[in-house]
Amino acid sequence: MLGLRSSLKTSLRGMNLQSRFVSSSAVAAKSTYRTPDFGDYLKENNNADKSRTYAYFMVGSLGLLSSAGAKSTVETFISSMTASADVLAMAKVEVDLAAIPEGKNVVVKWQGKPVFIRHRTQAEINEANSVDLSQLKDPQTDADRVKKPEWLVMLGICTHLGCVPIGESGDFGGWFCPCHGSHYDISGRIRRGPAPLNLEIPQYEFDDQKLIVG
Amino acid sequence: MSFSTIYNIFFKRNAVFVGTVFASAFVFQAAFDTAVTSWYEAHNKGKLWKDVKLTLGESGDDGDDEDDE
Repeated sequence: MLGLRSSLKTSLRGMNLQSRFVSSSAVAAKSTYRTPDFGDYLKENNNADKSRTYAYFMVGSLGLLSSAGAKSTVETFISSMTASADVLAMAKVEVDLAAIPEGKNVVVKWQGKPVFIRHRTQAEINEANSVDLSQLKDPQTDADRVKKPEWLVMLGICTHLGCVPIGESGDFGGWFCPCHGSHYDISGRIRRGPAPLNLEIPQYEFDDQKLIVG
Repeated sequence: MSFSTIYNIFFKRNAVFVGTVFASAFVFQAAFDTAVTSWYEAHNKGKLWKDVKLTLGESGDDGDDEDDE
């Protein structure tokens, strides 16, 4: 024990290569504490490496369990914030496109909102493409509004005050909102009336003969 | 491997120590989850939905999950 202490002292002295010529601390302020000798209480043939490794292992194991617990607690909270299965099931709607003949409108309900699906004829596609963009209140080409030109999919909510426009009516051969008289063309673009924007396009994709909105 | 080697590899640097703890927490969680799930399923064999579903498949399941709006 004494040997250990004196070797500690020499190693400390070795670290302090630059010796101080003037000590700023008073002699009385320096510690006079003498480390007790615990030699009587130590085990004989004690393997210090073993007990140290054991102590660190136990500390690490506790850390492992706590971090695993903390992780699953956080995960539980986060997963409780995600959409539940019934919400996810309602979030999409599938439409069989084969049942919609050319030149017909279909309205489906998606998340409580009407979605207009129109199977457009070639003449209607040509008409939608022939419109001069400078005439439009909300300029947008027809190609920007459809993924396949023959299928027009959009939210059936008037951008003015949220009425549901009537299909195949109005001055532009598209939709007409009866509430305040907004006219939409065959691409769902606002042409006349108080509505400021074109009819909104939801996210959708085609899967063979099916349309998936959402 | 002596104890001082273990100490020098894992415990000497705190970054290595904490990193080992976090990495093994991930491994432990996956292993623990798998073990508990497999025990639970073995313990409740025949009562779980995936077992019941197979017996129902012979009589029912004529596609009545299609909504008719």
